[in-house]
Amino acid sequence: MVLYEIVGVFIYPGMAFLFGLAFLYEWIDRKFFARVQNRIGPLYTGRSGILQPVADFIKLLSKEDIVPASCERPVFSAIPIVYATLPLIALFVIPITGSALIAFEGDVIFLMFVSALITLTVFLAGWSSAGSFSRIGGIRSALQMLSYEIPFGLALIGPAISAHSLSLTKIAQWQAANSSWFLWLQPIGFAAVLISLLAELELVPFDIPEAETEIVAGWLTEYGGRRLALFRLGKDLELVVASTLVASLYLGGAQPLFFIPPVVILILKSIIVLLLISFVRAIFARFRIDQMTSGMWTYLLPLMIVQILLVQFGIGG
Amino acid sequence: MSLFREAARQIFRKPATVKYPFEPGIVPPGLRGRPVWDMEKCILCVLCQNACPTAAIKMIPKGPDAGIEYHLDRCIFCGECADACPRKAITMTTNFELADTSRSNMVQHYKKPQQAQTQAAKT
Amino acid sequence: MSYGSTIKVPFGPQHPALKEPEYFLFEVDGDIVVKVTPRIGYVHRGVEKAFEQETYLHNLYLAERICGICSHAHTTCYTQTVEGLIPLEVPPRAVYIRLIMAELERLHSHSLWVGIAAHEAGFDTLFMYLWRDREMIMDLMEEISGNRVTHAINTIGGVRRDITNEQANKIKKFMDRFEGNVKEYMKVLETEQTFLKRTKGVGILKPRDAISLCAVGPTLRASGIKSDVRADDPYLAYGEIPFNVITHDGCDVYARTIVRCEEMIESANIIRYALDHLPEGKIRVPPPRTIAPNESVGRVEAPRGELIHYARSNGTAKPERYKVRSPTLGNLASVCQTLIGAHVADIPMILAGIDPCFSCMDRMTITVKKA
Repeated sequence: MVLYEIVGVFIYPGMAFLFGLAFLYEWIDRKFFARVQNRIGPLYTGRSGILQPVADFIKLLSKEDIVPASCERPVFSAIPIVYATLPLIALFVIPITGSALIAFEGDVIFLMFVSALITLTVFLAGWSSAGSFSRIGGIRSALQMLSYEIPFGLALIGPAISAHSLSLTKIAQWQAANSSWFLWLQPIGFAAVLISLLAELELVPFDIPEAETEIVAGWLTEYGGRRLALFRLGKDLELVVASTLVASLYLGGAQPLFFIPPVVILILKSIIVLLLISFVRAIFARFRIDQMTSGMWTYLLPLMIVQILLVQFGIGG
Repeated sequence: MSLFREAARQIFRKPATVKYPFEPGIVPPGLRGRPVWDMEKCILCVLCQNACPTAAIKMIPKGPDAGIEYHLDRCIFCGECADACPRKAITMTTNFELADTSRSNMVQHYKKPQQAQTQAAKT
Repeated sequence: MSYGSTIKVPFGPQHPALKEPEYFLFEVDGDIVVKVTPRIGYVHRGVEKAFEQETYLHNLYLAERICGICSHAHTTCYTQTVEGLIPLEVPPRAVYIRLIMAELERLHSHSLWVGIAAHEAGFDTLFMYLWRDREMIMDLMEEISGNRVTHAINTIGGVRRDITNEQANKIKKFMDRFEGNVKEYMKVLETEQTFLKRTKGVGILKPRDAISLCAVGPTLRASGIKSDVRADDPYLAYGEIPFNVITHDGCDVYARTIVRCEEMIESANIIRYALDHLPEGKIRVPPPRTIAPNESVGRVEAPRGELIHYARSNGTAKPERYKVRSPTLGNLASVCQTLIGAHVADIPMILAGIDPCFSCMDRMTITVKKA
């Protein structure tokens, strides 16, 4: 039994599988984003550039690590490891193969807690590297979290109310059992969860903490070499978390279809969510931080409250 | 959302990237590449050396090395030498792939053939 | 009131928002800029001294390399100034060919700028589309003049290459396509809410401030002031070609975007008219080698604004003094004014709004010795 669990945590559906998924999703994102812009994207490493994210990771691992002299060394060094680990922990509760590695009542709350921790990590990364750009980036990231956190939580709670359970696995199974997805039962929630995830993943139109043309790289500015490699891995893992979360919560989760195993179906659904996220990333410009906070509180929060009220009154499962 | 339709259309179009150098680059006919001297026509007047804005051309009038010494690393490919030559001995080719790894390869000698040189010395 | 002192945010000399190096020190209170201290001179190359060392014909190639994007504007102004020194009359066909290249360069420079403005706002897709269309203009210029930038088609006394009939037809066909594309992109820019939120009301420059701070070019015209060297002081053949001076009353970065887009459409019309009315004749006259003592000033509407060259000759083959004033130097004072009171996120938009070309601009350095 112990060997089975070790294989489960480290190989499948654990860390090795998830790292592979992370690199694959980064490749898909880059290729699709490039095609929308009439470019090619990665091309030469591996067939059609599929090994490019791996090549970038290995190259970054071999680069020199420069640490600013006036940074807070212990926090500065520990943050990349924490940032790469937290999405992994979040992935352990998402039912990728039909049943998650760790499943308990209260999964959803645990996921919200982990995402809040990730933003706290980002803030500490910006604060501990003692540059003005990093500090501004960290502050913006914390401000951004204040805006999207509540709509995000409400968007996760909506399906939980309908399925009468706070466990992600049970919500996915409820959709399979009732053969209706929350995509059409609670469409406002679906839109809200996509927008909040764009804000959490720091993608255009909400990539304000890392706005390249304004504050160089925001909270990532002072990081290089191995630490940057871990940050990029963490970002790719967050992409996997976001797409599989939406696929489980709103698109029916891992259901077997004829003879295709449920994990493949979930990966296909999450790739569709990923393509949607990439496409939205391509067609918008970037907001300013004050416009984003006011927009979220003025429009998104009331819409989500309306959605929850609708669910309470029985519309939407 | 205004870019939605245009962006959706672009997904199905061929990318605008030219995979140079694995595909040939686009070379219009009038491109000003490196100049080439035709030493049969050259009369070793000094007009191209005077016309060059960056002193990339040196004319050696007499002796065994007589001819034109052309510095590829100083040339700005303006074509003034071709305009100034009275015998039209200089042509601007379309060759633009001129990078090299050694500085000494950047200087090229065009030697004047010996009998034509003595002919020119006589006249 | 803030908790303490303001944060000092340095922009440059290396920064992704600036395509060329200059240093701006911003003092930021929360998210609002309260003070700007610019420091210029990073791209000073000693061009004006170098002008005095070479003959007039060789200096043409130096003038071309003052800036890459507006290289033809610099050579047009240079040849105009030197031809004013001699004085020399240029044949009409050469004048029209110079005008067509100048308008093609305005097209490529403005489409470069709209792409950069979109990129600064985070709108990368429009940036890629515009630069893809700009590539086609560069290919056209390569076919006419032999090079994508630093065209070297001007010479003292005329132009060096002619435009054949099939090249003229190609240009006309391309203008139709490009104009259609620009109108589509303008529609996107006018209706895309995220882009409008970043550019409307940002970087307001009132008309009175624009005049008193010596703004030039589209920055001035976006504050509603009708001032264009092509119309006020016609050079080349602009006196014979009907065109409109584009202004807009918005005074913000959005107005500058719209002015440049409409100028692109206007340039397409000018090129078509010039190609239809191209006079016959020769394309160059030989200039003298030495120039008698004289002084002359040349003014040209470069894509960024008014470009001024001044020359003084002393009877030899080399100029005695040559001075260049590029449009970005004129716009620098106004940009320092509009930056105060802006959010940090607006800084790249406002800086990009004047279309900065710092390599054109740097003629002097200021050294401050710290005590």
